Amino acid sequence: MSDLFGISVGALQAFQAALNVTSNNIANANTPGYAKETVELTAAKPQSNGSVTMGNGVTVVGISRSFSQATANQLNTSQSALGQLNALQSYSSQIDNLVGTTAGGLSTALQNFYGAWSDVANNPASTATRQALLGKAQSVAASLQSNSTQLDALNGDINGRITSDVQQINTLATSISSLNKQIVVSTAQAGGQAPNELIDQRDQLVSNLSKLTGISTTLDSNGALNVFVGNGQPLVLQGSTTSLTTVANQFDASQLEISTSTSNGNVISGAITSGDLGGLLAARSQVINPAKNQLGQIATALSQTVNQQQNAGLDLTGQLGANLFSVAAPLATASTKNTGGATAAVSVTNIGALTTNDYLLSYQGGAYSLTNAADGSTVPFSGNGTVATPLTADGLSIVLSATPATGDKFLIRPTVQAAGSFSVLLSNPSKIAAAGAVQATPAAGNTGSAAISSGTVVNAANPNLLATTTLTFTTATTYSINGAGSFAYTPGGNITQNGWQVQISGTPAAGDTFTVKSNAGGTGDNRNALLSANLQSIPVLQNGTASVSSAVSALVTGIGSQAEQINTAQTAQAAVNTQAVNDQQSVSGVNLDEEAAHLLQWQQAYQAAAKALQIGSSLFQSLLTAVQAV
Amino acid sequence: MRVTQSLNQLNFISAMTTLERNLSQTQNQIATNLSFTTPSQNPVAAGEVNNYNQALSQSQQYDTNANSAQGRLSIEDNAMSQVQSALQSLRTLALQANSGTQSDQNRAAIATQATQIQASLVSLANTQDGNGEYIFGGFSTQTPPFALSATGATYSGDQGQRLVQIAAGRTIPDSDNGAAVFNSIKTGNGTFTATAGAGNTGGGVLGTTTVSNPAAYDGKPFSIQFAVTTAPLTGVVTTTYTILDSTGTVVTPGAPYTSGQAISYDGLQVTLSGQPAAGDTFNVAPSTNQSLFTTVQNLVTALQTGTGSTGAQAKLNNSVNAAINNIDQALDHTSTVRSDIGGRLNAITTQLSVSGSQQIQLKSSISTLQSLDYASAITTLNEQNTTMSAAMQAYTLTQGLSLFKFL
Repeated sequence: MSDLFGISVGALQAFQAALNVTSNNIANANTPGYAKETVELTAAKPQSNGSVTMGNGVTVVGISRSFSQATANQLNTSQSALGQLNALQSYSSQIDNLVGTTAGGLSTALQNFYGAWSDVANNPASTATRQALLGKAQSVAASLQSNSTQLDALNGDINGRITSDVQQINTLATSISSLNKQIVVSTAQAGGQAPNELIDQRDQLVSNLSKLTGISTTLDSNGALNVFVGNGQPLVLQGSTTSLTTVANQFDASQLEISTSTSNGNVISGAITSGDLGGLLAARSQVINPAKNQLGQIATALSQTVNQQQNAGLDLTGQLGANLFSVAAPLATASTKNTGGATAAVSVTNIGALTTNDYLLSYQGGAYSLTNAADGSTVPFSGNGTVATPLTADGLSIVLSATPATGDKFLIRPTVQAAGSFSVLLSNPSKIAAAGAVQATPAAGNTGSAAISSGTVVNAANPNLLATTTLTFTTATTYSINGAGSFAYTPGGNITQNGWQVQISGTPAAGDTFTVKSNAGGTGDNRNALLSANLQSIPVLQNGTASVSSAVSALVTGIGSQAEQINTAQTAQAAVNTQAVNDQQSVSGVNLDEEAAHLLQWQQAYQAAAKALQIGSSLFQSLLTAVQAV
Repeated sequence: MRVTQSLNQLNFISAMTTLERNLSQTQNQIATNLSFTTPSQNPVAAGEVNNYNQALSQSQQYDTNANSAQGRLSIEDNAMSQVQSALQSLRTLALQANSGTQSDQNRAAIATQATQIQASLVSLANTQDGNGEYIFGGFSTQTPPFALSATGATYSGDQGQRLVQIAAGRTIPDSDNGAAVFNSIKTGNGTFTATAGAGNTGGGVLGTTTVSNPAAYDGKPFSIQFAVTTAPLTGVVTTTYTILDSTGTVVTPGAPYTSGQAISYDGLQVTLSGQPAAGDTFNVAPSTNQSLFTTVQNLVTALQTGTGSTGAQAKLNNSVNAAINNIDQALDHTSTVRSDIGGRLNAITTQLSVSGSQQIQLKSSISTLQSLDYASAITTLNEQNTTMSAAMQAYTLTQGLSLFKFL
């Protein structure tokens, strides 16, 4: 009889526990990180009275979590990848919108600028067309500057997000380590029974952490979870954490890096390739900085070609043209870790060879080495870094102020500053060099039929460019220059002197003279303006394969392609992630219909056990009545 | 696979987000009539549209250039046509003055008219374009290039010629400098010129000059000297001429002369009429360039010189003949300049029509790449709309399903 009571009461307790678990599941149906729990029942140890072994009811042996480490790991990995792509996509789509289909107005501004040169060529003496040209030049500068400013703002934004991500990672790590301590203690107290809710919480924190950065975990036998970031740098070990910090880049204080300590010797940014943090770092190195470099390359080429043409012409006052644009020189920064005091000065010597790469110059064992900063590939160079023989590579000329100390490093960014620093130097419209620098004329009394070309400038730097030179035909087939020498006359051949070049064709007579002199006063001349307008289609970039205009189109296509590719990858990863969430939820999620059925199941079982207790009671009552009757 | 209610909600929300994003994109495309609004939606087309737009704006700029050149060339052509009529008037005046019946007074009056024409020619040579630039100044367009002088007019412009880009790789001059237009006119018949010696006293007047045998002409000057002998016995007067080459060597000694006779040497033919005096010379030299204004000035000077004697009359006739020859050369030269201008204007017209169709082509290419295919966009919009309402309906239907409803 007491067995019946015992069994029934045990069953009532077990079913109540089961009902508790079910209602706990229902209560936590929407709790993030909650894993569905199941009550584990087992038949109690049977009783044997010699011949018969009789069951002894039911007991609760534990409450288990529906959890699969494999699916959880899969979800964490997929969340890291998605986090990275989400961050990357947020920046690439911002640049995509910012640059837009016209490169942030640059494309239109450039078309207008070159068009304005044509207008000046049509009417070179007019101040109005010259003023309009200066206005268009300002628009080009404004467009380049605003593009660059917006890219800088994105970089600033990234720094802010890196700082906040690092803070969140540290907070999560601290919480995980303190949960580790509690779990170890309570597992030991419960005789190896793990505290499900604490583990749920910890798994949720790990899952949150995986959105911020890629992680790997190991589970210790005492129930503690160790978390590693990057290349295996420990973030949480049992109950202790190693905090991450942000430090300034050794070459550029405006770019934050991630370090495991406050010294930038332990920078682990390179190893963080996934999660939001990985995405931020990738957006900076793959999207924003390259876009800035490309804009800079366009700005450098534009400035150099236009200035060169300016220098080869005469302005309204009869002076050789001054530079119209100015851009900052390539940026060369010494590492903060350098022990020597040497500084590097870099200039662009060949625009055609100029790339959009950044370079790392190192001095080791008495020799320089130059590598591509992005991929580490070796860049061939010549020279030794002195003023006499500068290091030259990829259109750059690098001069070191002194011999660096061994191990010193310099980061060379040839075009990073160009777009931001692009400005218009001229404000006086008469300073626009629309006229050719020299003018070649036959003497009025020439009796031969020879004609001379108007003259082109081949070297604007020649100090005697504007000096008057007389070509005198001493015979019909020889000529002298300023009365000196005797040169054979080739009809149509180039005659080069003082930085200019002319051609004489036809039949000269002995005694005929031709004068080449400054074109001062040639205010109606438009030769230089014509050449400037034509710069639009002259391929100066990429070893003479791309013009400034086509580089802008290539920039638009490049940024668009990159954004498209990132969008595609992000969409694909989102699908993968949905699948991982589905898998994980399929194991650990709470299905309310399932719980409803369980609720009914346990209710009925509870009612049945209660009935058994009632019957037991009535049996006992019958016995008592029978005993009383006797 | 087990599906849970919370996952259902989550998946529905993310599906709705995607659907709404796509719907908004289609809506945006329809509203802007652009098949892409950011480069990432079609990177290659975005770059190409940029290139096409650049080509289009360049082509439109070439049109602007061509129109500007057209304006200047029309002004130049107009000036040149007025120069032509001025030259025609001068020629008529010269022919009038050449007649022996004109008195010195009449000739002086003609000279006055010629002077006026000269002034108007100078003002034509100083024609300005719409921007106040002197068309014939070469590169020196801010100051009047021509100024009257004692011997004609001085040219203070230069020999520059402004080019205008009317197509990729194609430039045309939008003017001609004054030196080429007014100062480089060949004298005589364009090949050589025959002049009477300054000290001639006889009535020899130069007539037509021709190149009879271009192959034989060596381009060197020669002179014809006259001798008049009276036979002592018969008293017959014989006029003979001797031709001396450029070195002074006699090449044709003492040939008999008759008035109106053509004298040939070196592939050239010179016709002389009238009676030259002994010692009179006529010089033949290759044509040189002479300013139009010098030609007019020479004519005026000749007309203002009195004609008291046979020699003076012959001198007048020779000078006026030379002027007529030079005016004819100038007319020739002017026509050449005008036909050159006409050629350029034609080239501009042709180029404008070519670039017009080019621009239509470019615009259509841009439109093909960039404009929205409305039919397909609206179909897409409908599809998206249907999907969205279906998804919403499915959601509300499934949300009603719960076992708890039946408990």
